[in-house]
Order: sequence, then structure tokens, then C-alpha cells
Amino acid sequence: MSSVTDLAATGQYAPARAGFRVLVVDDDPDMAGYLALLLASEDMAVDCVPDGRSAAGAILKSAPDLVLLDVLLPDTSGFEVCRRLKQDPATALIPVVLVTALEDHESRVNGIQAGADDFLSKPVRREELIARVQTLRRLHETRRELEARRLAAEVQRKEAIRKAFSRYVSPRLAERIVGELGSEQAAFGDAHRLHVVALFADLRGFTRLTESVEVGEVVGMLNEYFSVITEAAYRNEGTIFSMAGDSLLVGFNVPFPQPDAPVRAWRTAQDMIGSFAPVLARWTQRGGMPTGIGLGIASGEAIVGNIGSPHYMNYTVIGDAINTAARLTQMADAGEVLVSGAVHEAIRGVLPAGRVEARGDVALRGKSEPVAVYAVRP
Amino acid sequence: MSAYKVKVDKDLEDLIPTFMSNRRKELDTLRVALAAADFEQLRQLGHRMRGVGNSYGFDDITDIGKLIEEGARSGDKAALEKHIAQYGDYLSRVEIAYE
Repeated sequence: MSSVTDLAATGQYAPARAGFRVLVVDDDPDMAGYLALLLASEDMAVDCVPDGRSAAGAILKSAPDLVLLDVLLPDTSGFEVCRRLKQDPATALIPVVLVTALEDHESRVNGIQAGADDFLSKPVRREELIARVQTLRRLHETRRELEARRLAAEVQRKEAIRKAFSRYVSPRLAERIVGELGSEQAAFGDAHRLHVVALFADLRGFTRLTESVEVGEVVGMLNEYFSVITEAAYRNEGTIFSMAGDSLLVGFNVPFPQPDAPVRAWRTAQDMIGSFAPVLARWTQRGGMPTGIGLGIASGEAIVGNIGSPHYMNYTVIGDAINTAARLTQMADAGEVLVSGAVHEAIRGVLPAGRVEARGDVALRGKSEPVAVYAVRP
Repeated sequence: MSAYKVKVDKDLEDLIPTFMSNRRKELDTLRVALAAADFEQLRQLGHRMRGVGNSYGFDDITDIGKLIEEGARSGDKAALEKHIAQYGDYLSRVEIAYE
């Protein structure tokens, strides 16, 4: 442990395991040394500086838990130093005790107006100093404990939200959503209109398969299928909007902008077909009916948001692009991706040569205008 | 002439040599300031003595500091001469006991 005589040389005095740091601001080295000695005897770490400017620098470098501040400093008044500390949100909560030989009423009023938390009169009585500082220390520690609890609760809340969102979006996207909690522009706020790229995936021939195998086996197969295609959606940062029967709806450019959304949707389709191939091979080997995934991709304006009743609500996407993607999926053969003309235009540069077939303008059920359709086999 | 006996807390013992050395420097500064009739500096030095003396257990330093501060405020050079001389006498004869 440093001896007190080291204080003059270093300006610091830190007993072992001191968890409470006090900054003493006093231009009188004898007074500073005296205060430091008493505080150190109470297991507090003490730094001493002689003027307001040094105090500001020391606080900026490492904020103390308490400031003992002399009123009459060589460069500026302690009132002014106190006022600046209390005006800065980063330092406003640091307790400040004004130490002064000034006993007049006006000085006390000035100190209160400057935001001082307490006063100590010179000559400083040992018992009074310790009592006042220990009181502020207890308050400080209580406040710190409350803050730690608040932070822990906040982390817990965000973790619960993150887990909930992880069911719909990739872990990375969930992190981003949690990070934006409280923001006015939170992505999962009110319903809004967005340009969306929608991908539907559907298991061809699965309905017939369910008629020939046991219920338990159907559930196992569906779980295996959804695990594979969900992972593919997450790998490409897609947002899962619905999972019904054997179909899955994935959105891109939502809730956060993705300038390469059409390409992401295409990569997801490729990924789904590629990842599902080994599963399909196993099913075929076990004697199941050969099947495969059919996919449809379309883009357009859609309404996105939390839609439902106070009792049941879904993060939902509604619009023509979703309907078109659904119709394309119904038309797609196993292992085939049908894309709308707009999507084809956006991804043509990344499509495999010789694997694209233009199907012309196709009349889709429920749509008044025919849609240009392209079939791609990854 | 009898000494001024002062009882100082044992845990302050390490600080006392520096403290006393600073008081003697302070006495020299007081004399220079008095010769120059620098009442503002005399007031500040008196104010400082007032704050630090009693904190260490030197009540007389606080008392003399208060008188110097008041003398400087009123510009009473004769009173200041007397109090500074008294301070010099005190510092030359003070005896410290640690307990």
C-alpha cells in the first residue's frame, strides 16, 4: 500500500481493493493530503488535483464516484466547476461535496444553485467528513445497484423479444430488431407499405404422401423439411411470414431494406432445393413417394405490419406480390423455380446459363392481367 | 517562555513534516505580502490558514488565520503586523505530541 507521503508526489492514494473513488479538488496540498488520508482510512481510492481545469481533465479521463470540491480554486470557482459537472449528463449524477471555509448564507445558496449535493465546512472535522461521505457512498451504491438491476431486466426483456422474433427471422435480423427497440423508426412498428420480394416454397406431392404413411412419420418428415428450408431462408436473411401445411412464405426487403432482395430470394430458392436434395434422397431410399420443392418468386408493393386482434396478432405481409408468388408456386414442378418478369429482370445476371425457360405471359388465377413467367431449374 | 503544545492524531504523523514546512513558507510569504501591502494575498493566506489549521489539530493556526483574514479585509496593517509576528512566535515554539 502506498504511504501517505507518496501523495504529494503522485496525487493518488489507493488502498487495496478500494471500490469507491473520490476526486479531491483543492489547491492547498496540506488540505488535500488531509482529506485523502481520512478517505483512504475508510478504504476509498483518492485522486487529488489542484484546480478546476485539472479536475475537468481527471473526470473526463475516469469519472470518480464522488468529488470533494474546494470553493476557492486558483483558476475558477468551485461553484463553476460544480455547475459544469451538473449540466453535463455524463457527470450530472456524480455527487459533489463543496468544501469551504466560507460560512455565509450566500455561499451556501450559490452552492445549492450550482447543484452541490452536500457541504463541508473548513476546518474539516474528521467525523463529519466521514459521515457525509459514507452517506453519499451508500446512496451512490444503492443507485448503482438499482441501475444494475434495471440493466439486467432490460437485457432479460430484450432476450425474450429476441427469442420470440427468432421464430420468424434470422438470428442476425433478430439482433438488429432488438437493437432498434425503443427507436421511433422501429421496423416492427405500425403497418406500412413496402416493396417486397416474396418467395413461396411448397412440397410437391406431399399431400398424397401423407395418405400412405403414419401420422408420426408425416410430422417427422415435415419437421425435417421445414428445418432445411427455414435454415436456407435465414442464411439469406429472409423473414418468415407463414408456415402452413407444407408451404412456407419468406419475405425479402422487409422489415429492413435489402437492395439485393431479388437476388437473395433466388439464392434462397437455390439453397432450399440444394439443401433438400439429400433429405429427398433419404426419403426415396426409404420407399417414400418421390417428391421435391416447387418455388415461386414475385415482387411488388405490399402492406407489412402486425395485423390481427388484441388477442391474436401476426406479423403479416399482404399484397399482389404475395398472391402472385403463391400462384407461381402452385404451377411450379418439383425442383423448379417460377419467377415473375420483374424478378427475372432483376436476377437475370446471376441465373445459370441454359437453365431459364421463358413461359410467356401467363394468366394466373385471381389476376386480371397476365404475368410474364420464367422457369428456372437451379 | 513556555511552548505551545498541540496534540495531533497519530495517523496524521506522516503528513506533519510537510505541513509544518509549508507553514514556515507561509510565514515568509505573509511577511513579504505585508511589506508589499498586498492585502488580497494576505486575505487569501489567512483564509487558507483558517481552513487547514484546525483540520490538523492546530486550533491556534485557524484563530490567527482568521485574524489575518479580517485584518487584510479592513486594511489594518498594524494589526496584521501583530498577528503575523504572533504566528512566527507560535511556529517557533509549537511542540507536537502524537496520540
